[in-house]
Amino acid sequence: MAKRVAIVSVGMDKFKGRKIETAEEMIYKVAKNALNRAKLPPEAIEAVVYGCAVDAFTATTAAEKVTIGGSNARLKPTMRSCTSGSTAISSPILAYYHVASGLHNMVMSVGFEKMSECRPHAQHVFNTVYDEFFVRPIGLNVPIQCGLEARRFLHRYGHTEHQMAKVSVKNHGNALDNPYAQRGKKVTIDDVMSSPYISWPVKIMDTSPTTDGARAVIFASEDMVYEITDDPVWVKGVGHCGDSVWFMGRNNSDLGRLDYAYKAAQEAYHMAGIEDPSKEIDVAEVYDPFTFKEMQHVEALGLCPEGGAGRMIDEGISLREGKLPVNPSGGLIGEGNPIGAGMSRLCWAWLQIKGQAGDCQVPKEVNTAVCNGWGGMYQYNAVMVIGRD
Amino acid sequence: MTRRVAIVGIGQTKVGYNVDGLNRKELTYMATKQALDDAGIGRDDIDSAITAQLDLYEGASLSQQYTLDSVGGVMKACDQRVGEDGIYAIFAGYLEAAAHPGMIVVVSSVEKSSDRERGSDPAIVLSSLDTLYVRQVCSSVPGLAGLEPCLAAMEARRYMHCYGITESQMASVAVKNYNNALRNPLAQNGQDTSLNEVMDSEMLSWPLRSMMMANPGDGACTLVLASEEVVKDITDKPVWIRGIGWCSDVNYPAVSEMGKAKFINIAARHAYSMAGIKHPSREIDLAEVYDNHSFNELMYCEALGLCGEGEGGKFMEEGKSQYGGSLPVNLSGGLLGHGNPLGTAGLIRVAQATLQLRGDAGDYQVPGAEVAVAQGCQWPYRSGGVAVLSSW
Repeated sequence: MAKRVAIVSVGMDKFKGRKIETAEEMIYKVAKNALNRAKLPPEAIEAVVYGCAVDAFTATTAAEKVTIGGSNARLKPTMRSCTSGSTAISSPILAYYHVASGLHNMVMSVGFEKMSECRPHAQHVFNTVYDEFFVRPIGLNVPIQCGLEARRFLHRYGHTEHQMAKVSVKNHGNALDNPYAQRGKKVTIDDVMSSPYISWPVKIMDTSPTTDGARAVIFASEDMVYEITDDPVWVKGVGHCGDSVWFMGRNNSDLGRLDYAYKAAQEAYHMAGIEDPSKEIDVAEVYDPFTFKEMQHVEALGLCPEGGAGRMIDEGISLREGKLPVNPSGGLIGEGNPIGAGMSRLCWAWLQIKGQAGDCQVPKEVNTAVCNGWGGMYQYNAVMVIGRD
Repeated sequence: MTRRVAIVGIGQTKVGYNVDGLNRKELTYMATKQALDDAGIGRDDIDSAITAQLDLYEGASLSQQYTLDSVGGVMKACDQRVGEDGIYAIFAGYLEAAAHPGMIVVVSSVEKSSDRERGSDPAIVLSSLDTLYVRQVCSSVPGLAGLEPCLAAMEARRYMHCYGITESQMASVAVKNYNNALRNPLAQNGQDTSLNEVMDSEMLSWPLRSMMMANPGDGACTLVLASEEVVKDITDKPVWIRGIGWCSDVNYPAVSEMGKAKFINIAARHAYSMAGIKHPSREIDLAEVYDNHSFNELMYCEALGLCGEGEGGKFMEEGKSQYGGSLPVNLSGGLLGHGNPLGTAGLIRVAQATLQLRGDAGDYQVPGAEVAVAQGCQWPYRSGGVAVLSSW
């Protein structure tokens, strides 16, 4: 069988709209933070896995190769996973495989993104992910595609823009207690509802900001994890799945239902031996670049019944003090959305289990947490379940 | 003991400039279809699909996702990556297959250099350099036209200086590889050439001449990997991945240790220790090495331990690496002869070594080959990987 893998440390640093540090410097800070937290020397790391989304953000071919000094990866094996937004979880999954396959004992996964260098805006880069003959000329980009998807999602399940706004209020509010957050603030439902549409029904306050930032996570094999900690947090399940890149040729029976996300979650839960996620998961950090994405993902991850995301926020189940807190850290909307460093979702899930989440800590015992990443050409999902035995 | 993983299917397109007018999705489809047919499996049998490409060379962000449909990765557990040479797809595939019993993973890479505007490559090479220091210096090369030869020539000069390698030794690598490519039906640049012809070709940046540099080409390559539980059901001629290793060094020309491929040496040592190989020069039957510039073949042969440090030139002159020699290198023609689809060439090296071990290499078959080493690189970065393959 594959080796068991534990997460022994995470590296955090503040997210900002524009950081003056280079990518290398940002990575140095989080790598050091992660090593210090676990009291490990830099030499302990055998291999490094990078996650950063799109080379065009910094106009660098293989952007991670110019940053290897920052994570002390010189003359070590380095590899990079890149699936756009879902890089957030697909690069830790790749790091997990480094250890699970028995090839390495201790591996650091580093996610980073420097989006502020794009002119006029990072969103312009996202048009270049599409097929150059048929789709790119239409001018499709993230907000437009998400508008289409959101519209269909609301229609199919009868959710409302008002419920979307509540998610925004929750996540902006949660981020107030997150010391690394870019955009924690107190907002009201009216503020969100009256903010301008960027692509109906998605409003500007339903979206996450562009962000510079980095995160690090250290994975260790079962053979050596007890040398570091007596209370290991295991990677219990991983799952990933991608649909066709043809926007008009998806296997998705319906634009509003993320079949691929359901499948990725199913795979991860199967591996983790979880039958009823809504009861067995204690806290969730889901990928929420837009408010409706959090709603789609909590349904796909089985945290509520399909079509139940509206009720979940209405009844306060997903609030920090609720029965099943979702994004108590503020999520991407509150904390910031540096694509590759969306790995922050995994970091916060770990901090919650360890009880080190500070003011963001949920007021209950946490043993199992789930996090996910969504991206690619809006058709890829990666899910990771972590927890104690 | 980790689970063993084997290569059970190979698919490669011809390498050339604008192959049959196919786009990169079609090229990938062709290679994948061929690989699946070779393994005798269908699209539904694939558990996971992995692709590796380089964004800026493809002119598309997330270029690896482009081909997701072509490799049969739709609604499968898949994990794609970019920014790495194709050979990294093998490593990632190995990791997945070694962790799961009975898994079939398709790994693929494609490059379509003919889509790029002619003369745009140097700008992409420039984009591979450190933003703050190196890029500023290199952007002063007039018109960027000579950027690649300039960067490569610095290393070649250092290599010659350290070990007394001569220009004619470097040229004879090119002669060997162009001639080898004549026997390879998929090759782009097979030609019957002589030492004088290479030595008389245009000087780009001393000591590099035009015939010592590999031309960009189009091409796709797909391999099917399987973990040991299912290998027997698929094929009688599996080629086992016995060892893998990869490594990155920082890429600041001012501080890099030029003339020595330390990163390949570290990767090779890791791969050899996995494979239990103690004397690579004796135990390995053939090698496929990344020779985007002819001197690189010699430098990497040293790093791979196929000859002693500084003995690359002697190794070449003694004819050991020739067709029929004791340790033939790049019988497929290498990047110089076979063609250089950037970012796919490393995976093609593995495919070619696999063909040899299966005894399917046709005119350039090494009789009784059992152990081979294949190496890929990501120029101008100082990073690359090594795979050790065997037929048992």
